[in-house]
Amino acid sequence: ASVSGFLSLLSFTILFLAWLAGFSSRLFAVIRFESIIHEFDPWFNYRSTHHLSTNGFYEFLNWFDERAWYPLGRIVGGTVYPGLMVTAGLIHYILNLLHVTVHIRDVCVFLAPVFSGLTAVSTFLLTRELWNQGAGLLAACFIAIVPGYISRSVAGSFDNEGIAIFALQFTYYLWVKSVKTGSVFWTIGCCLSYFYMVSAWGGYVFIINLIPLHVFVLLLMQRFSRRLYIAYSTFYIVGLVLSMQIPFVGFQPIRTSEHMAAAGVFALLQAYAFLQYLKDRLTRQEFQTLFFLGVSLAAGVVFLTLTKPSLPPLLRYAKIHIPIIASVSEHQPTTWVSFFFDLHILVCTFPAGLWFCIKNINDERVFVALYAISAVYFAGVMVRLMLTLTPVVCMLSAIAFSSVFEHYLGDDMKRENPIKQHPFYPVKNSSVYSKLIVTMLMLMLLMMFAVHCTWVTSNAYSSPSVVLASYNHDGSRNILDDFREAYYWLRQNTDEHARVMSWWDYGYQIAGMANRTTLVDNNTWNNSHIALVGKAMSSNESAAYEIMKSLDVDYVLIIFGGVIGYSGDDINKFLWMVRIAEGEHPKDIRESDYFTPQGEFRVDKAGSPTLLNCLMYKMSYYRFGEMQLDFRTPPGFDRTRNAEIGNKDIRLKHLEEAFTSEHWLVRIYRVKKQENRQALDHKLRNIAAKQKYTSKKVLPSRFH
Amino acid sequence: VAASEMFYKLLIIAFLAVSLYGTPSDGQKKKETLLSEKVSQMMEWTSKRAVIRLNGEKFRRLIRAPPRNYSVIIMFTALQPQRQCGVCKQADEEFQILANSWRYSSAFTNRIFFGMVDFDEGSDVFQMLNMNSAPTFINFPAKGKPKPADTYELQVRGFAAEQLARWVADRTDVHIRVIRPPNYAGPLMLGLLLAFIGSLAYLRRNNLEFLFNKNVWAFSALSFVLIMTSGQMWNHIRGPPYAHKNPNTGQVSYIHGSSQAQFVAETHIVLLFNAAVTLGMVLLHEAATSDLDIGKRKIMCVAGIGLVVLFFSWLLSIFRAKYHGYPYSFLE
Repeated sequence: ASVSGFLSLLSFTILFLAWLAGFSSRLFAVIRFESIIHEFDPWFNYRSTHHLSTNGFYEFLNWFDERAWYPLGRIVGGTVYPGLMVTAGLIHYILNLLHVTVHIRDVCVFLAPVFSGLTAVSTFLLTRELWNQGAGLLAACFIAIVPGYISRSVAGSFDNEGIAIFALQFTYYLWVKSVKTGSVFWTIGCCLSYFYMVSAWGGYVFIINLIPLHVFVLLLMQRFSRRLYIAYSTFYIVGLVLSMQIPFVGFQPIRTSEHMAAAGVFALLQAYAFLQYLKDRLTRQEFQTLFFLGVSLAAGVVFLTLTKPSLPPLLRYAKIHIPIIASVSEHQPTTWVSFFFDLHILVCTFPAGLWFCIKNINDERVFVALYAISAVYFAGVMVRLMLTLTPVVCMLSAIAFSSVFEHYLGDDMKRENPIKQHPFYPVKNSSVYSKLIVTMLMLMLLMMFAVHCTWVTSNAYSSPSVVLASYNHDGSRNILDDFREAYYWLRQNTDEHARVMSWWDYGYQIAGMANRTTLVDNNTWNNSHIALVGKAMSSNESAAYEIMKSLDVDYVLIIFGGVIGYSGDDINKFLWMVRIAEGEHPKDIRESDYFTPQGEFRVDKAGSPTLLNCLMYKMSYYRFGEMQLDFRTPPGFDRTRNAEIGNKDIRLKHLEEAFTSEHWLVRIYRVKKQENRQALDHKLRNIAAKQKYTSKKVLPSRFH
Repeated sequence: VAASEMFYKLLIIAFLAVSLYGTPSDGQKKKETLLSEKVSQMMEWTSKRAVIRLNGEKFRRLIRAPPRNYSVIIMFTALQPQRQCGVCKQADEEFQILANSWRYSSAFTNRIFFGMVDFDEGSDVFQMLNMNSAPTFINFPAKGKPKPADTYELQVRGFAAEQLARWVADRTDVHIRVIRPPNYAGPLMLGLLLAFIGSLAYLRRNNLEFLFNKNVWAFSALSFVLIMTSGQMWNHIRGPPYAHKNPNTGQVSYIHGSSQAQFVAETHIVLLFNAAVTLGMVLLHEAATSDLDIGKRKIMCVAGIGLVVLFFSWLLSIFRAKYHGYPYSFLE
């Protein structure tokens, strides 16, 4: 008893430390900068959570946001996965109920790091079900610090994925548990967890395809059992009903092809169970006839399911070159460098774990093998889906490391007796040296992994991207706070209902920080609206003015990195604007017009005249030609593109500069209102001077 | 449309001229018969092959000489193997797709034709047009001489049939919907593979043990995983070159210098390294559990250590070479 007590204390301590390590390694951004919401999408999530916590849940569900997608607006309640907002709002509510008065922003900032601890715990539970306690603890430690997961869950990155990975792992744990036990209790738990996942992230589709796949493969392997039947039948029905409660999901689970595999497998399982039942009741001859009938029917059902496969849409998604999808960097396929960067040693060791699992197969190891194979495929197609691969890589690597450690780290003297009776592990008197070397090597690899994770987290994944930092030669740091400076300028100095046009990347931030109406934002649901903004940016000023007038634009906001050498600015994104505009308006915008005859995109004198006179160019480089950054370069030298700009004498007719931030990173222009009377572009009517008649009369004499 | 209207107008004017003056001028009539001869000639060739092969003589007569009411898109190329023009072959394929899409489309008219001049058949044409690079696409419009925009910007737009079709639509107002012949290679290969597996299963129908062999399944799962983690999907979608040969020094580099891209060779190396580390881990495990005699197990153990250490350190050094500023290394 004391041994098991000691063991559970040890596991508890290790899990606690893993949680702590995971939490603290996600705090780089908070310590370097401040407690701030990062990037783009989190700003929208934060804004809606704020709305939820101030106005209540029902107001949130019915929220029509008229500040987005002007003049269309957006029904927020019906177009978001509310799980994230509700979770943060609930924590905030409970804390305030206990008189722990924290701001909702702090709850949002620290939500993902806290949930990473829960993910570690659920990964531990799942791995323990699959292999053993030791592997579970290793897996928990891996997932706590692995960069592939940290990339989406640092403090301040308040996004769906932060809580969804916990829900994913926990659902899988409960699923494995229910297949193992065949108890309705665990299955209902699994359904509730699935419901939480559906409310949190669109990635729930992965679960609703993987679990049926698991059942299907188990049937093929003739591993049908009553446990499986109970687990899946309950899961499918209850999970289906629960998932349809989310407004954004609605009737999709019974309509779209992504969910059809689950329905097909449900029908198949029923048929299979029915056949099993008949087999017990009928003679062999009768059964054979019935069996063939049933098999052909089932094959038909499966065929119908498979003709609408759920996997190819993803591949198509990546292959078809839709500019708006292609312009997002996280939709690119994955290079091996990204795999190594995000997983390090785990990427080479997890196939070993997969090997051990398949060699010692049982019901739940079938599940983990399918999980690994499908997740690795998706991660290969799209960088972003590395996130779903990471947990299974952690689990399988933990299994690999744990099965090596098991034999090389053990104390021979104590383990000799019990192991001797164990049929699988006959004791081997491998020399102490080899044990020592292997153990040291494994520890060394794990240490390198930990160091790598910390380095990657610190250098690659901890930038809020709202606040930038630059380092001087002596190591001192400059904070570039231009974004917030500009957004607060908008907030303080413009009319409350002013409409700000910008590229869609900055829509959520403008709405969140400046609280002003935007035309397009990161929820890129309306391509033609985005194309219109792209067209305005890539047309000449007078054509753009017509578009801006029709959209009631008051201000235009652009990002310009030429002064400090910031590469993510609008000129570098400009070709995407052109491409998206060209997709909708091929007559007016042509990508080739923006290239030189040699096919280069240049901003200097050799650049194409269309580029040098378009609105985006003019706004970016307005007055920049007068600016000499240092004595080695001529005035108007763009540091991002390392070129002297080609059009230094820029005059604006319909716009005027309203604000430029300290490092010129954000520039805001006011769109001039139309003058009362339009100036005529032809000469005023000239009344021909008529012949003058002068009286020939002699004037009266009194005038003399 | 404008061009054909123009053609009809011309006809009407010609007709009027005939009816008014009674006797048509000899030159006019000759011109017309010449034109219709040329058109029917072009139509006949096009019906045989979507892309008309032209030599110097034909080029001068059908394209260069004046009476012409049709546009001709001509590809100047060098397809003979001794010219060693790899791009020409790919461009030719795309051009054929475009021409065939037009040839078999329902909107097919005699307003536009597709032709090609091979350097080895019409080098005089190349000289005449003062051309020194192939492939080049030039549109010879129905009226007047080719303008600068009538030369396709191959460097900028690439030679995809869709891009060519857009350019053609731009220059001639003829919209061609590119229809690629479906690629049967993929399904055919899959079918063959399935047939092979099926026949194998049939031949060994008395002994289907291998279906239950865990090693087979584990091995195929591992191969799939290794293929994916070494970025083969990226290769499949992006189609990078196998390796890069520096044209000046002749040096071949197998590793791409940037972390954003990769060569095919590089991914094969990484696949091998990943597999070696995996193998090392499995060997270490087997060394401790298998029933072999102590000597063999010792060898397995040493081999396992060696594989893990060596290949992981190599993997790390490739990663370091690509990811500039990465500070850590192993055994270096």
